[in-house]
Amino acid sequence: MIEIIVFAPLLAAIIAGLGNRLIGNLPAKIVTTGALLISCALSWPIFIGFMTGSETAYVDPVLKWVQSGTMNFDWALRVDTLTAVMLVVITSVSALVHLYSWGYMDEDPDQPRFFAYLSLFTFAMLMLVTADNLVQMFFGWEGVGLASYLLIGFWFKKPSASAAAIKAFVVNRVGDLGFMMGIFGVFLVFGTTSIPEILDRAPEMAGSTIGFLGMRVDTMTVLCLLLFIGAMGKSAQLGLHTWLPDAMEGPTPVSALIHAATMVTAGVFMVCRLSPLFETSQTALTFVTFIGAATCFFAATIGTTQTDIKRVIAYSTCSQLGYMFFAAGVGAYGAAMFHLFTHAFFKALLFLGAGSVIHAMHHEQDMRYYGGLRKHIPITFWAMMAGTLAITGVGIWFLHAGFAGFHSKDAILESAFASGTEMGRFAFFMGIVAALLTSFYSWRLMFLTFWGKPRWIESEHIQHTVHKTPEEAGADTTGGYHPHESPWVMLTPLVILSLGAVFAGFVWSPYFLDSAAFWNGSIFYNEHLVHAMHNVDTWVKVAPGVVMLIGLAIAWNNYIRDPQAPARFVGMFGGVYTFLKNKWYFDELYDLIFVKPAFWLGRKFWKWGDVGTIDRFGPDGAAWVVAQGSHYARRVQTGYLYSYALVMLLGLIAAISWIMVR
Amino acid sequence: MIGIEHYVVVSSILFVLGVLGIFLNRKNVIVILMAIELILLSVNLNLVAFSAFLGDLVGQVFAMFVLTVAAGEAAIGLAILVIYFRGRGTIAVDDIHRMRG
Amino acid sequence: MTDFSQSLALIAAEELLTVVGLVLLLCAAWMGDKASRMISIVAVAALVACAFIAAPALCGGLMGPERVAFMGQYTADAFAAFAKLLIYASGIASLIVAPRFFGQVGAMRAEYPILILFAVLGMNMMVSATDFLTLYIGLELNSLAAYVLASFLRNDERSAEAGLKYFVLGALASGIILFGMSLTYGFTGSTNFTAVALAMDGTLATGALFGLIFVLAGLAFKISAVPFHMWTPDVYEGAPTPVTTFFATAPKVAALALTMRVALGAFGTQVDAWQQIVIFVSLASIVVGALGAIGQSNIKRLLAYSSINNVGFLLIGLAAATQEGASAMLVYLAIYVAMSVAGFVVVLMLRDAEGRPVEVIADMAGLSRTRPALAWALAAVMFSLAGIPPLFGFWGKFVVFQAAVNADLIALAAIGIAASVIGAFYYLKVVKIVFFDEPANVVAESGESGVDALAHKVMLLIACLFISPLGYLLTPWLGELADKAAAALYFVG
Repeated sequence: MIEIIVFAPLLAAIIAGLGNRLIGNLPAKIVTTGALLISCALSWPIFIGFMTGSETAYVDPVLKWVQSGTMNFDWALRVDTLTAVMLVVITSVSALVHLYSWGYMDEDPDQPRFFAYLSLFTFAMLMLVTADNLVQMFFGWEGVGLASYLLIGFWFKKPSASAAAIKAFVVNRVGDLGFMMGIFGVFLVFGTTSIPEILDRAPEMAGSTIGFLGMRVDTMTVLCLLLFIGAMGKSAQLGLHTWLPDAMEGPTPVSALIHAATMVTAGVFMVCRLSPLFETSQTALTFVTFIGAATCFFAATIGTTQTDIKRVIAYSTCSQLGYMFFAAGVGAYGAAMFHLFTHAFFKALLFLGAGSVIHAMHHEQDMRYYGGLRKHIPITFWAMMAGTLAITGVGIWFLHAGFAGFHSKDAILESAFASGTEMGRFAFFMGIVAALLTSFYSWRLMFLTFWGKPRWIESEHIQHTVHKTPEEAGADTTGGYHPHESPWVMLTPLVILSLGAVFAGFVWSPYFLDSAAFWNGSIFYNEHLVHAMHNVDTWVKVAPGVVMLIGLAIAWNNYIRDPQAPARFVGMFGGVYTFLKNKWYFDELYDLIFVKPAFWLGRKFWKWGDVGTIDRFGPDGAAWVVAQGSHYARRVQTGYLYSYALVMLLGLIAAISWIMVR
Repeated sequence: MIGIEHYVVVSSILFVLGVLGIFLNRKNVIVILMAIELILLSVNLNLVAFSAFLGDLVGQVFAMFVLTVAAGEAAIGLAILVIYFRGRGTIAVDDIHRMRG
Repeated sequence: MTDFSQSLALIAAEELLTVVGLVLLLCAAWMGDKASRMISIVAVAALVACAFIAAPALCGGLMGPERVAFMGQYTADAFAAFAKLLIYASGIASLIVAPRFFGQVGAMRAEYPILILFAVLGMNMMVSATDFLTLYIGLELNSLAAYVLASFLRNDERSAEAGLKYFVLGALASGIILFGMSLTYGFTGSTNFTAVALAMDGTLATGALFGLIFVLAGLAFKISAVPFHMWTPDVYEGAPTPVTTFFATAPKVAALALTMRVALGAFGTQVDAWQQIVIFVSLASIVVGALGAIGQSNIKRLLAYSSINNVGFLLIGLAAATQEGASAMLVYLAIYVAMSVAGFVVVLMLRDAEGRPVEVIADMAGLSRTRPALAWALAAVMFSLAGIPPLFGFWGKFVVFQAAVNADLIALAAIGIAASVIGAFYYLKVVKIVFFDEPANVVAESGESGVDALAHKVMLLIACLFISPLGYLLTPWLGELADKAAAALYFVG
């Protein structure tokens, strides 16, 4: 069963990838989407089985992999509650994205390749979440990285897409280095890479020290921090987040699947999977909390100034991942996973909705050129509305009823407050501010896109379509362009995900948040913290809802009531605006301290080391010697009998001389 | 008393002369044929001398074979030379270098 | 030991070749050139019959005193049989390709098959010789026939020049080898390989050392090893292509087998004396063969340098001076013969619109578009010669290097492998010209028809199948035969 879930996408990827043009678009689409639908259909019973308690955790061995001295690990598929949660998230979103891509990628010439990559990604992701040992997890980890690279750069003829793909790959390398060193360290300390064994023995190693970079440091702290660096890279946390916004160069379904719902949550998954390990190091947990809280605030601030619809959602993703991390950092792994779960639905929904808008607006992604789309694409509008309500966490606290984000995000904030540590409090306040910002930028997105007057004619894409300049269009700011609602293959996933965004929180919060039996030991379950979470002060419970309303009010004021307000704000606080608009200057900073020196060093190595030394004495030198040798060899071959005889005689004399002096 | 070493020295000198004749001569291919005969002569001298010295007949039998083969070789060499001359109108050693490199 | 009648029975193949050769000579004198086809057919039949005589000796791995004829002059063991089978195959190939080539210039003469037969007879004696006297007779019989064959196109200046050069240098080499034999005889008191080996055991007199070096130098000429290779490119280029096919295969096999017999047999007790020289010669051959081939414009000349290069690799097996090395050499030889035959048959099939042979490499540009099958065959040969897996040529190099490594000649193997990279350059250059250059449109677009053309195609197919990856299916079988032959070579009884 689990094998089919994991390997069906791989099989489909191979068929579609190798078959490519040979089998054509439609068979490739049918095979890949079919495989994902099968995987999805098989995943839900497992998940429901864990909900009802009829399923128990097991490990399904597949193949022997490496047996080298004391290092043994096999291919094995681990199925427990945590895996089951990830299984349904991955296969559901992936299946919907496959389906959605039928419409979105309809005019693309390279569809089999696209679908093969999507399925390959899904396989790698499934491999990651079913891993029973760290090496297999790393395989999946790198596999999703590869698929992400391929898909970001899917339109490789676009230089910006290629650059973004390379950037994603390189930045992830930094994180992967940490992850790899973490795995090495784990093997060094525990002598195994098997996850259950590591988790079993982690408590007894707590407090021990290890020599690292010439210092004696706490073993568990080092291991956890190294592993967490890997998670930071993959989940685009502060410092290693720069690749995620650029990754929006990929096709929108890819953004929905990989850069919102699944791959970027791998870091959170890994921390939860290894939660007993992280629990042994308070320092590491504090660090995780800090990074998560900082990211959730930082990314939200940038999200308020971006104008590209996908970039806004990308920063929103970054910010939401921050929530998950600080939840994990304060010990609320259940809340973290719950937010991961609900976030997958509403963020995929937002991305696919954005894709639908982009589709309708002829590939225009800039929100400033949208406006008034509500009536033209109503289904998309309502789906986006569901997503926005979910992400902003709309709900009524005393009825305990609301959209998906209400349940998960509030649980996180309450846990952070309830943890009682200073870092927890810090995270709580950061989270509250971020919730305000989230509400603001989400509603800003909605108002700019769906309300107000059409501003379409200012978009170059639209101008090209209707063959008019803004001047020619005059008062008709639509330019005579008529956005069309997307085809049903794109709308169906939107509707399904909308249901998830609306109901997922309500339905599953008892399991994810309050049920130790549900988790059944697959994550570290802090009973005490859950208890404390429910008993926080009322103001803590109300605060998220209040800031949400404030954010909504500001957005309404700025973009509906008084559209000139943002310009006035920019006029007053130009510095702040520019700072946020330029994403805190992270790219420029990295360019200055990493990229430029690296290029300089690379160029020097190239000029002096490669060209000057290796090429000169290596290939070029060898080629020169060969060419010269060939020249002389032919020169010696004069064609004259006597020179031939002379060479023979010289050879004879040389042999005799050799044998005499020997 | 003339010992075996004298014979060997003489035959060695003849051999070297023959070899030198092959690549010092730039004029005529016929001279090369003569040089080859000189080499074979040195060999025969060696064989016969050793045969006598060792009291073993094989050397002399060998010499007879060499003589016979040398005759055939000379015949074939001259035949090839004739063909060559018919084609090129010269048998100067310096002219034989159409194929080189 | 065998008595006289048994001795005569052991040389049945040689007797057959002699009688058939002489009878055919009479036929040729009687009936003239119009009988050349019939004579060719009979000659092929004779060679096939000889193969049937040699095959049981090889398959049975026969060796020892009962295979020795004429009181130690001659042996018909498995080693000789292995070499003979390769020689027969080469002889048959060069007989089959001849009529079409010579027919084009109206020079298909009845003497050609007879000369081939006598050359094969000489080579038979070379590989079976266990005495310097037999060796010399075989060598000269082969050489004299070869001189004539090289200048067989009497009206072609290049052919005459090739014959002349081959003759003069060959005679010099014969002189050197003879001088060496006379010295060896004088200082060991015998011409028999076994007796020489016994007498040479221990510290050696200077004269005997001279003899050893001279003999090996003369043999180096026959296998065209550097620095005794100078004749090879000129003769290969000048000689008629069927003759070049013959030169590149049969005499190489015979001379190498003879060299193995002499070096490992007669001089087998003095390995230290010649091993270093063989190592040097083999590396020099690999390098010079590769360097010389670069920049060649004539495909025959390129193949000549290629054969020098290949001899270098073969000599690595000899340098190992082990039974494994000998076995590896035999495997390599078999593959080398197939590669050479395939290569030259491709060259023979390259004709321009008027039916003239095409030898200039540049003229083959874009061959893949006009004659794809031929182009792929040429590519297979080139890749195989370069030793690129999965073609069979790689296997030959592999076993030889393995033997060298097992004999602790790791440096030799390493340098050999490195040097083979240079070789890959010009082989791949040919492939590049054939496949990627703009078509020169010199080679006729369609092949000829008729029985001769069919024979070419069949031979090319067989040879290409052998050097293709399918050849690896034969490795157990080929390795077993080579092991038997090498065991016979190393038989001490």
